Parts: sequence; structure tokens; C-alpha cells
Amino acid sequence: MNKGFISVVLLIAGSASAAWAMYSNSFYDAPPTPALEVVNADGEVVGEYRAPLARDILSEENAEDIIYGMRLLNETSRLLPDNVGNGLNCNSCHMAQGKRPLGAPYINTVGDYPKFMPRSQAVLDLTQRINGCFRRSMNGEPLPDDSAEMHAMQAYMAWLAKDLEPGQRVNIENMDYFKVGQYTPDPVRGERIYSQQCAACHGQNGEGMKDQFGDYIFPALWGDESFNIGAGMARLSRAAPFVKHNMPLGVSLHAPLGQIELSEQDAVDVSAYFTVKPRPDFPDKIFDWPGVPNPPDSRY
Amino acid sequence: MKAVKYLVAMGLIGFLLIFAFAKSVPYWFAPKMENPPQVDIHNPALIAKGEYYARVADCVACHTAPGGKPFAGGLGMQTPLGAIYSTNITPDPTTGIGNYSYADFERAVRRGVRPDHTALYPAMPFVSYMIAKDEEIEAMYAYFMSAVEPVQQANQASTIPWPASMRWPVSLWHLMYAQPREFQPNPNRTAQENHGAYLVEGLAHCGACHTPRGIGFQEKALYDDTSGNFLAGSVLEGWFAKSLRNEGVGLETWSNADIVEFLRTGRTDITAAFGSMAEVVEHSTQYFTAPDLEAMAAYLSSLAPKPGREATWQPQSDTTTAQLRNGNFDSPGAIIYAQECAACHRMDGMGAPRVFPALAGNSIVFAEDPSSMIQVTMAGGRMPHTEHDTMAFAMPGFYHLSNQDLADVLNFIRNGWGNHGSEITPRDIARMRKIVDNAPQHFVPPAQEADYE
Ligand code: HEC
Ligand code: HEC
Ligand code: HEC
Ligand code: HEC
Ligand code: HEC
Repeated sequence: MNKGFISVVLLIAGSASAAWAMYSNSFYDAPPTPALEVVNADGEVVGEYRAPLARDILSEENAEDIIYGMRLLNETSRLLPDNVGNGLNCNSCHMAQGKRPLGAPYINTVGDYPKFMPRSQAVLDLTQRINGCFRRSMNGEPLPDDSAEMHAMQAYMAWLAKDLEPGQRVNIENMDYFKVGQYTPDPVRGERIYSQQCAACHGQNGEGMKDQFGDYIFPALWGDESFNIGAGMARLSRAAPFVKHNMPLGVSLHAPLGQIELSEQDAVDVSAYFTVKPRPDFPDKIFDWPGVPNPPDSRY
Repeated sequence: MKAVKYLVAMGLIGFLLIFAFAKSVPYWFAPKMENPPQVDIHNPALIAKGEYYARVADCVACHTAPGGKPFAGGLGMQTPLGAIYSTNITPDPTTGIGNYSYADFERAVRRGVRPDHTALYPAMPFVSYMIAKDEEIEAMYAYFMSAVEPVQQANQASTIPWPASMRWPVSLWHLMYAQPREFQPNPNRTAQENHGAYLVEGLAHCGACHTPRGIGFQEKALYDDTSGNFLAGSVLEGWFAKSLRNEGVGLETWSNADIVEFLRTGRTDITAAFGSMAEVVEHSTQYFTAPDLEAMAAYLSSLAPKPGREATWQPQSDTTTAQLRNGNFDSPGAIIYAQECAACHRMDGMGAPRVFPALAGNSIVFAEDPSSMIQVTMAGGRMPHTEHDTMAFAMPGFYHLSNQDLADVLNFIRNGWGNHGSEITPRDIARMRKIVDNAPQHFVPPAQEADYE
């Protein structure tokens, strides 16, 4: 055997394995994200849904509209000061760009409206529904029906559902409306949970935390800069299911926002503590639940 | 034929000579101390001091398995050839170190030799502990013998296959890289800086992770010599433990107060510890006394830049904040950032003080070696729990994003808000994905021994 031969063999083997390492690295990518089920009107599974990726927006025909909508949902308070009366943004509550099941997502929203709303005892279309959030959650003024802003927000929501056919839904819940009534709320325990698990971000007095421009990093949970008493979040039956799956964030390794799941009792207790704190009034409350009794957890 | 036999015979003889030589090394190179002092292991003041020194030396981090009893060993450390396990150092007489005399303990901790005269792998940082003072070793001995709960838990055998598992060659490593050494105070430094140097080089063993390793996997410098290699930055298990020297890619932008705050609480207003550093803070540095922390900070800021790194890193002007606030999402990186990261790290890249670290001006983001940034984004990270903050926050892992998405968003933050750094390719991401997939569950410094051949 001669050395030349051996070195040639080694050289070939070496470069082949190096090439293979590079080649295999280039296929070593993220596994496909788990899909959600798509169901038709009869509840039969007819397909799969994966929330579209951020980069996909750029190749949409109406990219500009979708992006404007996304910005308005993320930075509502800064971009629409005339319509927002507090420090919140739509996506303060609609988690992770409206893509997160159980985090009040917009995934099925466009297809689900018009829809009957018990609170107004009427069928509302999407524009009215959004303006409901403007007047209550945002403690502000409705947007004109045909404004570019209203249009853009809906364009973003439609983008999330772009692959759904009419009549199809993604098989998810917007919120986990567990039977809050079966728990006895303990606001004293709630206060303790609040100072251990919430106050570092939302402030010891629920005042939130602002950035250098005066925009909220962590929204206020009560006081003038928070949602008014007419908002869904002011009701224990809405707040506890939200908090259970979405707060605190930034405490686990789970994408998208590092959330954990609180126990139902913890979620009820802490929500019973913050929902009843002072917050703006909602004068039009007198028109709610016309002809039917107000639910027990409404604040009026 | 004859020649072959001759060669084989010579080889055998040579091998036996090396073998016998290596076997003999611990006896004369690191012998057991001759007149060991009498240590009063029941002296409460001594025990209390020992507990503190053991904190500074972070014995608990390596000698405790996740979920296991303190100091009972069993933590696995990945080496290229297999896993080795830390040992039980509780005072249990059968499975722990209950039968250790003071001299045995001193020899294991400072010289890395077990009572049976075998050499310990340098995963045990005796090369750093070597300079610890006698009184510190004595105090730790008292603490381990009297105050640590004995646990009966047999040591785990390493999974390194024979012949690489043979220990005698480790002695040769000791001979080459673990020469006896004492701490040399530098007359040009203040007493405080020298005290800091003593801790950093010794018990606190910062260099075990932050000093680059040489060909034999030895630390390239054990103190601040002229090479400037000491604490100049090193990669371990896909984390980049960056330079701690007073240079642009190091701690130049940190005040001494920042360094103290970081070591005490695991975070400052703009950054937070993650990966193995989070564990160092959680188990060790959060317990340091204020004078010890201040001394270490004073020492670290006195370290001159490594030759060639004097040019300071200057931020460029920030156009990113305005770009994002104006909704100018012209690239995949920008829009991915807006959707996946901005909720926490914010449009201005400033995060939230003590909650979410800033990315603007954060040297982890523009470090020449982007390993830490890639890994923390892919796998997530947790801040240490300390008694100073009620909550410890965590960064979610974005493993599910594609290599291309991660490369785009990381290049975006690496060159955003005035940051600037080399380009990250999807292949870099793929490489890190492999490291993350094969990572041992819990971090320990890499065992260098496997490559002693
Ligand atoms: C304080 C929290 C909060 C804020 C802020 C908020 N919302 Fe809501 N929103 C909710 C809750 C709670 C629901 C009911 C979720 C559910 O059960 O579907 C809801 C429901 C909706 C729905 C109906 C979703 C569906 O599929 O049925 C739309 C659309 C909506 N919000 C849009 C907005 C917009 C646009 C903004 C900003 C102008 C906004 N929201 C701000 C809390 C909020
Ligand atoms: C790590 C910081 C952090 C912690 C801890 C935290 N939150 Fe939040 N919270 C946020 C952020 C950020 C938002 C807005 C969501 C967004 O911007 O993506 C939010 C939004 C909310 C909202 C909806 C918006 C509003 O202002 O009404 C509620 C309600 C809420 N949090 C309650 C809680 C409760 C209750 C806890 C404790 C159990 C908690 N949060 C802990 C950061 C935090
Ligand atoms: C960076 C990790 C690390 C740290 C920190 C560390 N050790 Fe170790 N130690 C090890 C490993 C790994 C071994 C086993 C090495 C081997 O098998 O060769 C070991 C072995 C030992 C042994 C030998 C036990 C035996 O009989 O086999 C003693 C004694 C010991 N360590 C004491 C300590 C003390 C005391 C401290 C703190 C001052 C400490 N160690 C800090 C990793 C560490
Ligand atoms: C077990 C390995 C290990 C040891 C021991 C260690 N470090 Fe680190 N260190 C790291 C890693 C990995 C990082 C990068 C992760 C990070 O920045 O949190 C780091 C980062 C740092 C940072 C920079 C943090 C930032 O955000 O830029 C400082 C400062 C630091 N270490 C100081 C020290 C000091 C001082 C010691 C000695 C007491 C020490 N380290 C010991 C592994 C270690
Ligand atoms: C839920 C909030 C959250 C989101 C979303 C988030 N991060 Fe983080 N990030 C954190 C926290 C908390 C830390 C500190 C982690 C630690 O110290 O262990 C961190 C740390 C980092 C660091 C290291 C900086 C340092 O000094 O510790 C980088 C780089 C980073 N994040 C990049 C990103 C990128 C890129 C994205 C989007 C793909 C992102 N983050 C999304 C919360 C978040």
C-alpha cells in the first residue's frame, strides 16, 4: 500500500463527509408546525390550518392594507388617539397577533360575523363588533364604518383566514369559558397572586409601565388608562378564562409569548381582584341587555 | 518480518514506559500533603465560612443532578466520547467523601487527585481552585464534613467506552496543564483589584467558561498574562461566554455598578443572564458579599483589551426605531420582528427594564460570535431566580421558525438600532439546531478530557 493512495482516499472521504455535513445541515430545518383542524358547517374535518407566517404578508396583493391593519391592532393607542380613550391596544388582549387559540384570536372572526350578541340582543356585523371594542375595551369612540382604518383591520383579520372557504371554521375556541360560577372567588388570595405574578409588569397599583415615548409596554389593569366597566374584560366570566391561558407571559419557554396555564382557582381569584378596581364608566351601559336581566358578573 | 517484531516490541516497551510513568505522576507531582493541619470540623464559625467559600466556588452546581439531593453528584456532562458524571461529595462514608481526611480533600480540590491516586478529569476545576488559600480549603472541609447532609448515592460510571475511559493518560494532562501555581498579586493593581483577581482566577473560576481553550482543551491563560487571552471569550455547548475584558466586545460599556448588579441579580436594565450563566448567578454569585462583588468588578474593568481589540465598537445611528414605528416593514426580518418579538423587545429595541432585555446596544446581539443569540432565540432562556426580584422571566424558544426566518430576524436585530455585526446564514441556524437537539438536558462546562490523545 502506498501513502499516496491512502491520502487520496482520506482526502476524498474527508471532503465527502464535509460536503455531506453541509448538505444535511441545509435540510436540517424546523419540523412542520402542528396543524389545527378545519371543519365545515356540519362539523366534519375537511382540512388543516396553520396561521400564516409574518413573511407571507409581503407577498400578498393587498400587503399594504394588511400591514396597516396589523399596525393599528398592535399600536392602536398611539396611531388612533382620537378613537382610543385609554392606553390599550387591540392586541393587548388579542394575543400574539390574533393567532393564538384561547387568546381571543381573530382566526375565525371574519367568517363568524354577522353574529347574535346577547349583550345587545341583536345581530352585529364585524364593523359593529370592532366598534364595540373601541367604545368599551378602548374606552373610546367608534371608527367610521367605511374608514381606511376599519377596512385595514378587517383586511388583517381576513388574511388570517385566507385559506378558509366560505362556511369553514378552524376548530378552536376563542376563549376557554370554563364555569367560573362554580368557584368562590377569593380576592384576598387574588391580591397575593397579583403582587407575586403580575405586579412586576402591570405595577403594584395596576398602573402598567410606559416606554420612552409614553406608550404602554405593560398595559394598565385598572384606573383611567384601562378598559371601562362596559368591557368584556371587566366581567369575571371573561377575565378569568383570559388570564388562565394568557397571563403571566414571559415566564416559560413556550412560544409565542412564554405563557403558562394558571389553575382555574388562581385565575378566578386574581381576576376577582383586578376587575372590580376603579375604572372608567360606560354611560351607554343603560342600553345593554335590553329586555333581559344583566348577567350576575356585570358591574351595572 | 524481524523488523516488524522489533517495531512491535519497541512499541510495547514504549507504551509500558509511558503507562508506568503516567501512573507514577500523581505520587510525585501532586502528592498528599505531609503535615496536614488539624481542622476543627465542628467549629461553627469555620463551617459558616466554608459554606460561603463553597458558594463562591459553586460546588453545588456541578455536584447536584437536576432534581437530585444537594452535592450527591450524578450530573451528566457531555464529552465527544460519552457522558461523565460528577461524584457524590456529601459526607456519606460509603458512597461520598465521608472517609476523606483533610489531606485527601485538599488534594482532590486543589490538585485533582483522588485518594486512590487516580487523576480527576479537568471538568472538576481544580486548575482554578489550586490558588485557593489553605484557610479556605480548611473551612470548606469543615463545612462538607459537618454541615452537608450525607446522602447514600453510588457514583455513576461514565459512558465513555474503553480504551478512552482509561484514566491514567489524564495524569499526563495534569503534568502538562496543571502545574502548581500560587496567586500572584499584581503590584500595578490596587488591593481591591487584586482581591478581585484572586476570586476570579481562583474559587469563582470564571475563566473555566470565559477563557478560550487551547489545543489540549486547556484554558489558554489562567491569569491576566501578556497574551490577553484570560477571559477573552469562549464557546461552550453552543453558548458564547463573551469576553469579560474591558473592550468593545467585552464589558467596556458596563460600569462597575452594572457588573455588580448583574452578578447579584442576574440582570441589569438592559441585559439578563441565560444559559449556564443564569445558573452561575442562581447558585453562586447572588450570594457573594458586596465587597467581593465590587472587587471582582474593579478587577474586570481593569483588564486591558486583548491586543488587536483596542478599537472600540461604536454604535451607528439608530434608524430602526423610526422605521418600525412608521410601519416600514420592507424586509422579512422587520416584519417577523414585528410579529414575533416586538411585544417584548419593543419597536425601540429597549425591552422593559429588568423584565425584557434590550436588544439595542446589547453586546450579545452584535458579538463577533453569534452563538448565544442564536441559541437563546431558538431554545429560549430563563433568568436566574434570586432573592432580589419577585419574578424571573423567560424568553420563549422559537425553534418552530424556519432556518430562513430565524436568520432573517436575527440579522435584522444584529443590524438594527445602531447595532452592527457579521451576517448569520440559515446554515448557522441549522448547525445550532443540531446542537440544541443533542444538548444535555442541563448545562455543565464541557469536559475537556476526551481529547487527551
Ligand atoms: C381589554 C381587552 C380587549 C381589548 C383592548 C380589545 N378587545 Fe376585542 N375582545 C375582547 C374580548 C374579551 C372579546 C371576546 C372574545 C371572545 O370570546 O371571542 C373580544 C372580541 C373581539 C372581537 C370578536 C372576535 C370573534 O371572533 O368573535 C373582535 C373582532 C375584536 N374583539 C376586535 C377588537 C379590536 C379591533 C380591538 C381594538 C380596537 C379590540 N378588540 C380591543 C377584549 C378586548
Ligand atoms: C412579563 C410581564 C407580564 C406579567 C408578569 C403579566 N402580564 Fe398581563 N400583560 C402583559 C403584556 C405585555 C400585555 C399586553 C399583551 C401584548 O402586548 O402582547 C398584558 C395584558 C394583560 C391583560 C389584557 C390587557 C389589559 O390591560 O386589560 C390582562 C387582563 C392582564 N395582562 C392581566 C395579567 C394578570 C392578572 C397577571 C398576573 C397573573 C399578568 N397580567 C401578568 C405583560 C405581563
Ligand atoms: C465545573 C464543575 C465542578 C465544580 C464547580 C466542582 N466540581 Fe468537584 N468534580 C466535578 C467532576 C465532573 C468530578 C468527577 C471528575 C472525575 O470523575 O474525574 C468532580 C470530582 C470531585 C471530587 C472527587 C470525588 C471522588 O472521590 O471521586 C471532589 C472531592 C470534588 N469534586 C469536590 C468539589 C468541591 C469541594 C467543589 C467546590 C469547591 C467542587 N468539587 C466543584 C465537577 C465539578
Ligand atoms: C459555567 C460557565 C460559566 C461560568 C463559570 C461563568 N460564566 Fe459568565 N457567562 C457564561 C455564558 C454562557 C454567558 C453568555 C450568556 C449570558 O450572557 O448570560 C456568560 C455571560 C457573562 C456576562 C455577560 C452578560 C451579558 O449580558 O453580556 C458576564 C458579565 C459574566 N458572564 C460574568 C461572569 C463572571 C464574573 C464569572 C465568574 C464569577 C462568570 N461569568 C462565570 C458562562 C459562564
Ligand atoms: C415573551 C417575551 C419575549 C419574546 C416574544 C421574545 N423575547 Fe427575547 N427575551 C425575553 C426575555 C425574558 C429574555 C431574557 C432571557 C434570559 O435572561 O434568560 C430575552 C432575551 C433575548 C436575547 C438575549 C439578550 C440578553 O441580554 O439576555 C435575545 C438576543 C432575544 N431575546 C431575541 C429575541 C428575538 C429575536 C425574538 C423574536 C423572534 C424574541 N427575543 C422574542 C423575552 C422575549
